[in-house]
This record gives sequence, structure tokens and C-alpha cells, in this order.
Amino acid sequence: MTTPETPQILIVEDDQVAAEAMAEAVRDVGGQPILRASYDDGLEAARGSDFAVILFDRMLPGGDGVDAIAKVRAAGSTALVMVVSALGRAQNKIEGLEKGADDYLAKPFDPDELRARLRALLRRKNMVALDNDVVAFGDLEIRMKARTVHVGTTHVAISPKEFKLLRYFANNAGDLVTRMQLLENVWNLHFDPQTNVVDVHVGRLRRKLETAAGRPIIHTARGEGYVFDPVGEAE
Amino acid sequence: MRRARSASLRMTLMVASGIILMSLGAMGVQYRVTEASLNARQAELLRADLEAFAALYEQRRIVALRQAVEFRVASSSAAQGIYLLMDRDVKLAGNLDGWPDGLTREGADFTPKGAQIFDHNGVSYLGIARDLPGGFPFLVARARTDTLSTLADLRRLIGWVALGLVAVALLAGWGISRAVLGRIGRLNALADQVAGGDLSARLPSPRQQDEFAVLQDHVHNMLDRIEGLNRATHRLSDAIAHELRTPLNRIQHRLSALEGQDAQVEEIRGEIRSTVRIFDALLDISSAEAAKGQRPGLVPVNLSELAEEVFDLYEPLAEETGMLCSAEITPDLHVLGERSLLAQLLSNLLDNAIKYCGPGDAIAVLVTEQDGRFLLQVTDTGPGIPEELRAEMFDRFTRAERDRDRAGHGLGLALVQAIAARHGAKLILPETSKGFAIGISCPKLDPSA
Repeated sequence: MTTPETPQILIVEDDQVAAEAMAEAVRDVGGQPILRASYDDGLEAARGSDFAVILFDRMLPGGDGVDAIAKVRAAGSTALVMVVSALGRAQNKIEGLEKGADDYLAKPFDPDELRARLRALLRRKNMVALDNDVVAFGDLEIRMKARTVHVGTTHVAISPKEFKLLRYFANNAGDLVTRMQLLENVWNLHFDPQTNVVDVHVGRLRRKLETAAGRPIIHTARGEGYVFDPVGEAE
Repeated sequence: MRRARSASLRMTLMVASGIILMSLGAMGVQYRVTEASLNARQAELLRADLEAFAALYEQRRIVALRQAVEFRVASSSAAQGIYLLMDRDVKLAGNLDGWPDGLTREGADFTPKGAQIFDHNGVSYLGIARDLPGGFPFLVARARTDTLSTLADLRRLIGWVALGLVAVALLAGWGISRAVLGRIGRLNALADQVAGGDLSARLPSPRQQDEFAVLQDHVHNMLDRIEGLNRATHRLSDAIAHELRTPLNRIQHRLSALEGQDAQVEEIRGEIRSTVRIFDALLDISSAEAAKGQRPGLVPVNLSELAEEVFDLYEPLAEETGMLCSAEITPDLHVLGERSLLAQLLSNLLDNAIKYCGPGDAIAVLVTEQDGRFLLQVTDTGPGIPEELRAEMFDRFTRAERDRDRAGHGLGLALVQAIAARHGAKLILPETSKGFAIGISCPKLDPSA
């Protein structure tokens, strides 16, 4: 299988304003958007060619995007599917994920959130099975099996939860990671808590890494989340 | 269920015992009639005897009477009748050796008037005792053995018939109530199944068209209607979610086109997010209420692990604001539940605790086994809930006047209550000297289920 230079991303969405916003986000992450506005058209397109990512709405004319996932997979597509829907309660999300969606974004969404999630999916799509035991970012070394972190030769003591957090950051190094993504992927919680509980956890991890490395490792991105950038590439 | 069974059986037994009583009454009347006619025949025999003796006495007085008595004694046995003629204390004729003790003599005539019933040597007799002129005691009596044994037979027969009737009535009552209750029981089971959440449950169509079939049809029609309404409600809430989120989504996208007003844009985004949170909470509450007590959708959840995770998520936040956090969690307590809902419940309780507590306050999470159920409890030493709000604290949009300037919509506890109900859990509000404590007591997961 060859990955095209520009990843093709199918958008199945009947609301034109939303579809346009999604297309824009797709172009922002370097993809080529292909738009469909109904369930049947979307399903036909998804079966026809191999997309990198498919964005599927749920309450489409003709059907529910979640029901299309199994059919798309049965047709041999290796596309990652993100459901983007107004059915955005925790239970809807869990239902979608259980039915095979790779990600689930509730409407209304912030364009930054969609971009962050698209990048994470594209990264996952292109990731060559990374079973390296040691992942290094400059002098920052993460040992996956031993679940330890070192800066140079200094061991950084972090809790198991902080390690999980760091691993998720490392997998998305250099990209914006949103609070909602962290809550879903690190804590497996799909609702929006009233308080930004995640901030305190990221803050603790950030302070530990910063103290050890003597430079900022995790940066706060405007508004929505964080960027893990241990070697300062994004600056 | 038990009570209903006894009620129907009672009805059947009442009808049956009515029939039994009437039959026994009829047999009682029959018995009286028979008894009267047998007694009349007995009296008739006695009168015939007396008439014969009277005729002889008319002719030759005591001499003839003595011969007649001797003749009678010779031709019959003492078991049929007793005869005795005496001259003061001396026996002249008869089949008794002496006057029976305690038998009083009255009058001197030969009519059956004043006939008395008496026992002699264990046999019952009907007869007369006279003092004939000149001091001759005279006794004529007929044994009642035949009459009495006929009546005894009759009584025995009535007894057996009554026993038989009771047995048949009991059997019939049992059979009828089984047949009736079987059909009512099926309807009851259907109602239970529906109450348990399976709105599409129906009974197979009945074999014959009777009142039960009509009742069943009515119940089915009612259920069809409820099911339809329920479906419509679900569609409506989905539609609301969709129809409101779509315009909000557009607002959100238009916002990102704005430049140079980051602070305001951020504020509007915050408002959109909190609006979405309100109707998410409302939809969560109604869907949890709709699914109340239903088994489908519930899976085994490790309550202890879940509580630990959510506690770990909130603990740093509380600590950073200077609160003392503690958790006492008995490991590996499993309940049947929805992980996400239970996490949301605890998250709401901790959110509240952190929101209302200040530096120095303590927040404690407890997961333990209590009275055969699993208890999940959050206690804090914050300001507590104002007394006047206690009654309505679980209602939607209830907020204390003093909290108007705090973030929130008064949906947290309403959602907690709905989630608890969804899991068949009881909400408990332990008394605290200071602050607020709330717990939910979940049914244990039966390990064999």
C-alpha cells in the first residue's frame, strides 16, 4: 500500500457550513478534502477508493454514519474513521467508538480541536509500528517497557498516570493536543467535566520535566491545549 | 403476587362453601323430616299396643291384662319392647324383673299421652308408665333401636356427602384459580417485564376470545401506544440535540474567522461550551431516567477501580487549591453499571465538593460494602447545602441564592440522582456536623449472574 503525498480525506456531512469548515481544517493539515452530502453517496465513495481518513456525520439523509463503519471496513478500506456528530453525549461517543470509530468529535467543535484530531489520526495512519523500547527526543529518553523517563542521565520520577500522559504526548510530539483528547485517551472519559481537571496533571508533569531538562518541554497552546516539543522544533 | 393468588382462591372457596352450605341445609331438612316420620311410626306402634291392652282391660281388668302381657312377652323379645305388670312390688307378668329405676308413673289410662323416652340396659325406649287403679304399676314401651339406627345411618351418609363436597369444592377451586391465575399471572409477568424496561414485550395471542383475551388486547394496545410515545420522545431529544448543535456549530466556525478579538472570542466559545453542557446534562438526565432500572446496557464495572481513577483525576486539583483529599476504597467491588455514567456521577460530586470548598477544607471519597450493598460516598467540610434547599436539591436548575455568582446550572445533583436511579441505587444523605455528604448505595453484582 502506498501512501499518497497528499492524504485524501473524505467528508460526509450534509450541513454545508460545517462541511466547508471541515474541508478547511483538512486543507490546514495538508490533506485533500472530498465532500459528500448523503449517507449513500458517502458510503459509495468510501468503498470506492482508499482514503486516509473519513469524517462521517451521523444524522445524514439516508442513514447513520456509525452504521457505515462496518460496511466501509468490509469493503477493504483501511481508512481511519472519525465520527463528527451532533449526537455528542458521552453515551453517543461510546456507542460510536464501540462500533468501530477511531475517533468521535461532538458538534459544535472548535476548528483547532478538529485539526488536532485529524493530525493525530494521520500520524497514526502513517506510523510505522513503533515498538521501539526507547523513544528519544534529544536528551529526553522515554523507556516504554520500564516506564521510566530520563533527561541525560537524570531519572525523572513520574507517576504511572503521568507516564501515560507523557506517552500520549510523545506519540503526538510537535502537534497540538487538546484537553478533550487527553481526557479521552489517557483517562478514558468521554464527558466534559465542569473544571479543567487535566490542566493540573499536565502542569505537574510539565514542572517535573522542565526542572530536569532546564527548558520548557510541554507548551501551552492558545486556548485549547498543549504541544509537546522537547527539542524546540516548533518554535 | 402472593396476595393476588390468595384473593382469587378465597373467592372460589367462598362460592364453593356457599354451595356446600346450601346442600348441607337441604340434607338437614330431609333429616328432620325423616326423623319426624320415624318417630310418628314409633308412636303409632305404641298406640296400637296400648289399644289392644285397653280392650282386654275393659273386659276383665287385671286378669286379662296379665294374660295379654304374658302372651306378648312370649311372642316378642325384650329387644323389641318391654312389658311389665306388677301388683305393688310384686311382678305379675312381663319381661322385666322389677320396675326400672328412676322411671316415674303417671295416670291410669291406656292412651299414648305422656309417653316418655328412657334408657334401659343401654337400649332406648318410647313408652308409658301407669299406675292402674288398685295399685298395679303397668309399663309398655317399644324399643327405638330401628329408628335410631336408621337416623344414624342417615347422619353418616350426610357426613360422607359433606366431606365429598368439600373435597370436590377444594379441587375445583384449586383448578379454577390455577387456570384463572395462570392467565392473570402471564399478564402480570408481562407488566413486570415492561416495568423492567422491555417495552416491546408482548404475549402470544390467546387461544380463545374471552374476557382475558380482551384484557390482553387492551394491555397490548396500551403498550403499543407507550412504545410509540417513547420512541417519539427519543427521536425528539435526538432532533433537539441535532437542531441546536448545528447552529451552534456554525457560530463556532464563524467565530474562528474573527481576528484580533481573541479574548471575546474565547469568552463566546466558553459560553457555547457551557450551553452544550446544559443540554447534554438534560439529555443525559432524561435518557438515564428513561433507562431507569433496565438491565440492557449495564455491564460489570469495577466500582473501586473507577472511583480510584476519578479520584486521581480530581485529587491534584483539590490539593492545589489547598484542600485535604483522602480516599478510602475497598478494592475490587463490582457493580452492574455503565462506566461512563458512574464516572460522571462521581465527577459531578467531586466537582461540586471542590467548587464549594475552600482552602483547608477536607474532601473524602469512600467506597465500601455496607448492609449487603456497595456504598460510594463523597463527604466534604464545605459550607453544605442551605436548609431551605434540601427538599429540592435534586430538582433540575435548583441553585442556592448565595451561589448565583458561581459557575453551574443546578443540574449536577439532578444528573447524579438520575444516574443512581438508572443503576437501581439508593441516594443517601448522611448527617454531617459540617459540610455535605452524599452517597449512593448500589446493588452488588451477583457473581453467579
